[in-house]
Amino acid sequence: MMSIRRTATVLRAFWQLNWLEELQYRGNFIASLLGTVFWLLMAILTAALYFQHTSTLGGWAFWDVVVLLGIFNALAGVVETMLRPGIGHLPADVRSGALDLVLVRPVDAQFYVSFRRLDVWRLADVVLGLALAWYAFVQTGRAISAWELIIFVVTFAVAIAVIYAIWVALMSLAFWFVAVENLAALFDALFEAARYPVSAYPGALRFLFVYLIPIAWTTTIPASALTGRLRPALAFWALAVGIAALGASRLLWRVALERYTSAGG
Amino acid sequence: MPAAILATELSKTYDVKVRDPGINGALAALARPHYRQVRAVDSVTFAIERGDAVAFLGPNGAGKTTTLKMLTGLLFPSSGRAEVAGCDPWTGGNAFRQRIAFVLGNKQQLLWDLPPEETFRLNRAIYGVSAADYTARRAELVELLVLGHLVDKPARQLSLGERMKCELAAALLHQPEVLFLDEPTLGLDLEAQQTIRTFLGEYRRRHDATILLTSHYMADVTALASRVLIINRGRLLYDGELSELVARIAPIKRIELVLSEPVARARLEDYGRVAHFAPPSATIEVPRELATAASARLLADLSVADLSIQDPPIEEVIRIAFGEGAQDAEAEEEALVRADVRRAPP
Amino acid sequence: MIRAGARGAVAVFRDQYAELMRSAFLIDLQYRASIAIWLIWGITEPIISLGIWWTIAAAGAVGGYSREAFAQYFFGVALVNQATLSWDAWNIDRWIREGEMNYRLTRPIAPIHEAIADNIAYKGPTATIILTAWIVASVFWPAVRIPFEPGRWALAIVAIVLAAAIRFLNGYATGLLAFWTTRATALVELQFGISLFLSGRIAPLSLLPPRVAHVAGYLWFPYVLSFPVQVLTGTVTTTAQYVRGFAGQLIWLAIWLMLYLLVWTRGRRHYGAVGG
Repeated sequence: MMSIRRTATVLRAFWQLNWLEELQYRGNFIASLLGTVFWLLMAILTAALYFQHTSTLGGWAFWDVVVLLGIFNALAGVVETMLRPGIGHLPADVRSGALDLVLVRPVDAQFYVSFRRLDVWRLADVVLGLALAWYAFVQTGRAISAWELIIFVVTFAVAIAVIYAIWVALMSLAFWFVAVENLAALFDALFEAARYPVSAYPGALRFLFVYLIPIAWTTTIPASALTGRLRPALAFWALAVGIAALGASRLLWRVALERYTSAGG
Repeated sequence: MPAAILATELSKTYDVKVRDPGINGALAALARPHYRQVRAVDSVTFAIERGDAVAFLGPNGAGKTTTLKMLTGLLFPSSGRAEVAGCDPWTGGNAFRQRIAFVLGNKQQLLWDLPPEETFRLNRAIYGVSAADYTARRAELVELLVLGHLVDKPARQLSLGERMKCELAAALLHQPEVLFLDEPTLGLDLEAQQTIRTFLGEYRRRHDATILLTSHYMADVTALASRVLIINRGRLLYDGELSELVARIAPIKRIELVLSEPVARARLEDYGRVAHFAPPSATIEVPRELATAASARLLADLSVADLSIQDPPIEEVIRIAFGEGAQDAEAEEEALVRADVRRAPP
Repeated sequence: MIRAGARGAVAVFRDQYAELMRSAFLIDLQYRASIAIWLIWGITEPIISLGIWWTIAAAGAVGGYSREAFAQYFFGVALVNQATLSWDAWNIDRWIREGEMNYRLTRPIAPIHEAIADNIAYKGPTATIILTAWIVASVFWPAVRIPFEPGRWALAIVAIVLAAAIRFLNGYATGLLAFWTTRATALVELQFGISLFLSGRIAPLSLLPPRVAHVAGYLWFPYVLSFPVQVLTGTVTTTAQYVRGFAGQLIWLAIWLMLYLLVWTRGRRHYGAVGG
């Protein structure tokens, strides 16, 4: 196990390194920013279209849904910044043998793979998403207490942890299905369901996206916290789920790595 | 009989944007772009007869690949003309493409996930090869290139040398008249290089194919092509026999010694220019015509364990032709003019 | 020997296509696991859209669409979408950047034919899978059943093939802009984003604000998705609607074919001037 201080040092080194690498691609920053703004606009227009024909969606008003949309975008930004370039690269590293180079280093492999590569420009997506969520929140006219804000931050962090765990689970499949190149597309497909509140889905779909693949919770819970729908008890449950998710991801990683190293790679 | 490859005053000029580094430079370039003309190929003229093999030599960025691209119809010349297998490469269309093959050393044409056999089948259809021709040619290529069971393994599982052999086979199923090879033995192990060189020589003999290849490896040149075209900075500097170039540029021989008793460097300098001194070996350069006499003296005067007389390595010759470390085209040209080898008869 | 003459040329063409499709199919077979994942990815969006509209239409029909109508519509979208996917722009961009365009340009067949064969080899089987899934679903879920009308189904197939051709040429022509810019794929994405609304992917066109639907009618978007789906699900009934729809498809097919030829000849020339 790496010490806290060591972890912090390595993390800072990764951060600086990624900035140095990314600064070469300033043009791509503008391009990806424009892309994000465009898709955000499309998403808002989609919601607007739905609300042309209804006044609530599963009990959520228009601006409530936009709050959730902002959170979705922010979480998608986290995925693009940290997860896709990081753990999302695992299948390619397994295929090319680059993972072996990681395993011989005196750093925790899961930590290294997860944080070595960051797409720092995509942090703009996170900022944009949170800004949209805040704007929509203001439009709802609700007041929010400091306590509720803290719960929101906690549930948002939990959402990141759950998404991370899902990514680790999916990418670990690369150890078994080496030839599959687009495991990340599975996440993209499932994450689409998190665009809308869980209650907006009819029974069968709700079952799929809530109980079978708990992806819809990642946006609904934090958005519920902001829009005053979250029962405090659920917040504690969410925290427990977040910690469990991190633990599960760790376990899954260890199992997968065990198989990789014993199978001869 | 018309030449198989004919280049007449072939030129290719690019406009390259120039800008100062940094943010200010970038902004200035947006407002007022400045251009600089780069002559990638400058009035290159040569003719290659049917069935000949010629090597195209030159440092990186000299214009070899650009010339090849003009001869294969990928680029059109800024001025001048090209004629390959009786067609204009740029306007020759599919009829032209039927008659050539263009093999690049570092670019993959084989279908990556499938066995080379599948690429053979595909090329057969694309080039319209009849069933009888296909069977005969495929058998010949498999035999000459020693492919065996390689054709049944997915291309990604083959080594670089195995892949290159299969690439060549796939490229020749339609029996092109002219074969363009860009660095065909790049990065291959010695055995693969040897197989390919032998193959190309044999193939040319059997089918009267014309071969123009670029290469860094002198062994490619000496094995395949006695005639070389040397190009640098877009200009054709030499067109003729390699042996002529060697003889004229560097009319020297190298005497390579292995001494059984230590000898001072100064002592060796009595016999000629000491090119290399690392006891017990040493290399002395002497004028060609004095090589035998100098060797006799060395054998008589010193305790010599081994002695051999060599031509200077081709790399040396080329480096001398381009000027010792100088990047100036004029200096290189001067060096050649002084040696009076420009436009030597083929 | 090369078979000469017009009849021979057709035979050579046929052989070329047969082999190109065979190679593409064999390669796809190797990537079947990845393709299965792409299939899942392709159907989630229509399923989610359906889910939302199903909820909205709980109280009754919305804009003339009942829950069942929505279900049939979005199953149709999933099928037609699979048959009209466009990915060639990304290939072209990669080939030009990595020098793999060169050998495609020195072969005696234009690169577009390899792409067409690749499309057919991929879309044939995968669209069939979606169709099969639809048939199986309709056994258990009456809502998605479509009446068996061979005439209409035949017309639907024609509409789908035309839609696929339009979208293919649209994507390929836009992708060829990679001869000039590195942002060609971004342009394709931009068109895709707009098509979410204007082609009827998010919702049937009649549910869009009237002015937006009106604008859509002037572009090719409705003809690559909405029209074929409506033929399939029986929303198109009158002869006038059929004529307008097919006419629109043919016109836009011709337009994009001309645009492709324009961009191809210009692009080829540009490539020959400045290289890759």
